[in-house]
Amino acid sequence: MDYIIMLLPSMLKGLTVTLKLFSITLVMALPLGVIMGMARISSFNPLRWFMEFYVWLFRGTPLLLQLLFMYFGLMTVGLRLEREMAAYLAFVLNYSAYLAEIFRAGIQSIDRGQYEAADVLGLSRYQTMKNIILPQVFKRVLPPIGNEVINLVKDTALVYVLAISELSRVARTHVMRDDTFIPFLIAAIFYLMMTGMVQRFFKWVELRYDYFH
Amino acid sequence: MYILQAINIHKNFGSLGVLHGVSLQVQKGEVIAIIGPSGSGKSTLLRCLNHLERIDSGQIEIEGETIAQNNSEGKAVYSSEAKIAQARRKMGMVFQNFNLFPHKSVMQNLIMAPTLVKNMGKAEAEESARLLLAKVGLSQKADNYPFELSGGQQQRVAIARALAMNPDIMCFDEPTSALDPELTGEVLMVMKDLALEDMTMVVVTHEIGFAREVADRVIFMDEGVIMEEGQAEEVLLNPRQERTSAFLSKVLMAR
Repeated sequence: MDYIIMLLPSMLKGLTVTLKLFSITLVMALPLGVIMGMARISSFNPLRWFMEFYVWLFRGTPLLLQLLFMYFGLMTVGLRLEREMAAYLAFVLNYSAYLAEIFRAGIQSIDRGQYEAADVLGLSRYQTMKNIILPQVFKRVLPPIGNEVINLVKDTALVYVLAISELSRVARTHVMRDDTFIPFLIAAIFYLMMTGMVQRFFKWVELRYDYFH
Repeated sequence: MYILQAINIHKNFGSLGVLHGVSLQVQKGEVIAIIGPSGSGKSTLLRCLNHLERIDSGQIEIEGETIAQNNSEGKAVYSSEAKIAQARRKMGMVFQNFNLFPHKSVMQNLIMAPTLVKNMGKAEAEESARLLLAKVGLSQKADNYPFELSGGQQQRVAIARALAMNPDIMCFDEPTSALDPELTGEVLMVMKDLALEDMTMVVVTHEIGFAREVADRVIFMDEGVIMEEGQAEEVLLNPRQERTSAFLSKVLMAR
C-alpha cells in the first residue's frame, strides 16, 4: 500500500501527459475530420484526389512510424519540432484521416431525398449541410466515433518512442526499477477508468440523440 | 401566358433516353394529372421542371422567366443560378417518400425554409405554419417528430411544408404510392382542397379516381413521350390511343 502511495505522484503526472495528448488530438481531429470528410467527396477533383491520397497515407502506415517521422524524420531535413509537438502533429493528422473516413461514410449514408427536399425548398448547399445533413450524420457516426476515441486512449501509449513520459512509460520505468508488476496494474486501472468514462459519455450522447429515428 | 411551360424536352441518363421531346403547358389554376406506366418518364419530367434533373435539350419557362433554352447547337443552356433559384421558389414539391427532416419536429420542418431562405421571423413563420397545419388537419402534431406519424400524416406535413414557402405551383411526384391503401384518402383530400383553392398543380399519380375527379387535364405518357392528353373525362373514359386504354384497363383491374 505504501508503495502504491509512493508511486501515485509520478503515475498521475504520466496520466496528465496522456490526457493532454488525448484532449488535444480529439479537439483538433474531430472538426478536421468533418471538413476532410466533406472534402473527400467534393466535386472539385484535385481536392478529392488529395484527400484520397492523404487518407491512404495516414491510414496505410503505422502510427508509430508516423511519430518517428514527425520527430526524427523532419529533424534530418532541418525541421526540429519539440517532442510533444511532433506527437500532437502525428496524432492529429492520423486521427483526422480515420475520422474523415467515418464522416464521409456518414454523409454518404444520408438519403438523397434529404438533399432534394432541402434543394426544392431553396436551402443553399451550406444551409443543407449544416441544418439537414450533418445533424443526422452525427447521430449515425456516434458508434464508430466512440470506437476511435477508445482506440485513441490506448494509442497514446505509443508516444513512448519519443521518450515522452506518458502513463505507460512511467509505469514501465517503475516496473524495471522496482522489480514489481504493480505499476502496470495501476496503469491498467487508469486506462480502464478513462475508457470507461469515454464509453459512458458516448452512451449518454446516444441517448440524447434518441429523440429522432 | 402560361404559368409553366416546357417545350420539346429531351433527357437522357447516359445512353438511356428517358424523355424524347415532351412539351407541356400549364395555365394558372389548372390541375394536371400525369399518368402512365412506370419507366414512362413521368417522374423525370416533373423533376426536370423542378430542376432536380437537368434537361439535355428543350426549353423551360416558369412564370414567363426562361430557365433553360436551346443554344444554336440544340443543347439546353440554363440561366444564372440566381434566376433559377428565384423561379424555383415559385414551385413547391411533394415527394413519394415524403422526405421530411427526421431530426426536426413537424413545426421545425415547416418553419425551416421560411426562416432560412426568406429570412422570415420565427414567430411569423410559426403563425403561418399553424394555419397550414390546421389546413392539413394536423394541428395536434406540431411538436411530434416524423417517425411518430403515420405515412399519411407525414405526407400531409410534407404538403404543408411545401406550402409554407407560398408557391404558385405545386408538383406532386406519386404522393400516395408509398402509402398503405387506407391512408391514401386523407392525402388525396388535402390535395383536392388545394385544387378547390385554385392552386396550380402538376400531379404524377396512379390514382385514376383522383385524376378523374380533380384534374382538369390528364396527360398519358409512355416511353418518354406524351401519347395522349386532353380533358380528364375524355382521356380516362374514351381514350383515343390503344396504349392508353390498355394501361387504364390494367390499372383499373388492379383495383
